[in-house]
This record gives sequence, C-alpha cells and structure tokens, in this order.
Amino acid sequence: MTNIFSYSLIIIGIIFWFWGTFPLVGNRSVLFKLHSLSVADTLGSMSIVMGLLLQIPREWSLLLLALITLAIWNTVLGYVLAYCSSSGETTQND
Amino acid sequence: MDFILIAMILALLIPIYEAWQDNDIWQKMLAFASIATKTSIMMLVVSVLRDDWPIGVVAVIILSVGNAGLMLLAHLIRRMNEI
Repeated sequence: MTNIFSYSLIIIGIIFWFWGTFPLVGNRSVLFKLHSLSVADTLGSMSIVMGLLLQIPREWSLLLLALITLAIWNTVLGYVLAYCSSSGETTQND
Repeated sequence: MDFILIAMILALLIPIYEAWQDNDIWQKMLAFASIATKTSIMMLVVSVLRDDWPIGVVAVIILSVGNAGLMLLAHLIRRMNEI
C-alpha cells in the first residue's frame, strides 16, 4: 500500500515538473515563467522527496534535510531572481 | 523506478534546451535554477535507489549551495546592469 502511495506521489511530482517547465520554452515574461517555475519546481520536488520518504530508506534524515532546504532555498531563490530581474528592467526604463 | 528516472531526465532536457536557445540573461538564470533543483532531486532518487547515502549528502549540498550561488550570481548581474 505504501509503495503505491509513494510511487503516486513521485509521479505527481514529475507531472508538476513538466507542468512548470513547459511555459519556460515559450516567449512569456521572466516573472510569469518564474512564478510557474518556482511553484512547480518546489512543490514537485517536495512531493518527489515525500514519495521517497515513504519508501523509508536508510537515508531518511538526508531526505528530511532536502525537504527543508527545498522549502527555504527554492522560495528565496525565486524571490531573489524576481527582485534582481525586475529591478534590472526599471533601470533600463529610466 | 527506472521509468521514473527516465521521465526525470526528460524533464531536465527542457530547461537545458531553454538555456541554450534563449539569449536573455534572466531567462538563462531561470533555466539554470531549474536545472540545479532537478539534478539534485534526481541524485536523491538515485541515492535512495542504490541505498548509498554519500550520494544523498552531495545532492543536499548541491541543493543548498547551488541555490545560494545562483542568488549571488543574480545580485552580481543586477549590479553589472546598473553600471
């Protein structure tokens, strides 16, 4: 039962990855892509790591650390990229 | 589980293609951020598959230090744009 649940979590994570990455190839603005990318990447990766945790491997502590690192660093990276890319555009518009 | 890894590799190819074909620096930064996260998660999957915890340690290091490096790079590019 837990095996099925963990595989379904991993597959949901991969679907999130594809869903977040497809708009990347289009011609939308940086902020639009960044939003869908950082949401999809973070949530998708977290559900993949949760799926791995359900397999109860020996490395569960590493997976927990990866979960926390993902939650913090990926969101902050999304914020920093948004801040830096948009402040770049304002200077060009002046 | 091999099928899952192949699907992950396919998901990784899209940002690599995006980083190659786009000339805007910020689009490339987006693609690299996505590549960094995806590779580290793939390494975690491999480390659970092989039950080999050093690979997992490297994956977590890539996750945290890689993202920190990308943040520094973003600030650097922003300052370079202001000059």
